[in-house]
Amino acid sequence: MKNGKVLFVIPAYNEEENIEKVLKEIQNDANFADVIVINDCSKDNTKKIVEQNGVKCITGIFNLKYAMAVQTGIKYAYVNNYDYVIQFDADGQHIAKEAIKLLEEIKRSDSDIVIGSRYLKDTGYPCPFFRKIGTKFFAGIIQIICKKKIADPLSGFQCLNKKVIERYAQMGNYPEFPDANLVIEMLILGYKIKEIPVKMRLRENGESMHGGIIKPIKYMINMLYTIVFIIIQNPRKRAR
Amino acid sequence: MKNMYFIILAILVILYVVHEVRKKKFSIKESFWWIIASLIMLILAIFPYSIDRLAKFLNIAYPPSLLFVLCIIFLLFINFRNSKKIAEHQEKIIELAQHVAILENELEDLRRKERGK
Repeated sequence: MKNGKVLFVIPAYNEEENIEKVLKEIQNDANFADVIVINDCSKDNTKKIVEQNGVKCITGIFNLKYAMAVQTGIKYAYVNNYDYVIQFDADGQHIAKEAIKLLEEIKRSDSDIVIGSRYLKDTGYPCPFFRKIGTKFFAGIIQIICKKKIADPLSGFQCLNKKVIERYAQMGNYPEFPDANLVIEMLILGYKIKEIPVKMRLRENGESMHGGIIKPIKYMINMLYTIVFIIIQNPRKRAR
Repeated sequence: MKNMYFIILAILVILYVVHEVRKKKFSIKESFWWIIASLIMLILAIFPYSIDRLAKFLNIAYPPSLLFVLCIIFLLFINFRNSKKIAEHQEKIIELAQHVAILENELEDLRRKERGK
């Protein structure tokens, strides 16, 4: 793992219960990489715990929401000339050893984005019902539009190469929910996306950001609408 | 076909919104309500009697007034949303400006110290 500077980008919002374990795990299993936590204006001790663990922490002045926190991390990677970014969750769902798999894959193949997927193989991940439907649904849409099978487009566990870091860092309209829409846009623009199966843990503490009933419905409508316009925005490249 | 004009108008509005979004001059997220509104306009233009029926259902004696009420509600909604957003943005801009000012001050201190060394 010598060639290429690697950065773990961890957006965190009120994750004092989980963050320490996550950071320790990365420091143990992936000690070659740098870590940055984007503390999204947490109201608890997240920042303190991160700094106690000797990890750099960017704290926003106000809450930016998940996606913008991720983009902040990517911008940091861009400014500091990192070669690879691994998007990693602060809630302990993602496993550091699996992140190395993503990294090896992106180095080996010529992919620009490698997504860690829960569903590519049966990795024993028990999945909430709504999420399963959503994932299947958007995977279907991607298949139709881009003729490419992405089993888990909602996965936030991704590895990006330099080309993608540059693109995301300069995106003025980085989406609020960077899921299927971003995958579709990147595929249309000709970036190569690959998926590999990874293991994930179930969330231990705290709440998911896609909870409730109204939020998923809003999310679905928002996502569908956005996808339509992304196709309209990039028509010529699609014909290629 | 008197309502032809309105159908054309509605289509023009939709095309205009889509065009602006396509050229990335308007955000996808913000376009949502305008697209919805212009689609409703299109539906009402194609089926003008639907407003009569809706008015009858709601016991409104003069159907066109329902149309005005709907328009006003939509405009109020959009306007309130905008004004809310402006207030939010204003707050954030002030916060950012203050933060930048403090940072700049700190940076200057650091630079002075560096020079003093």
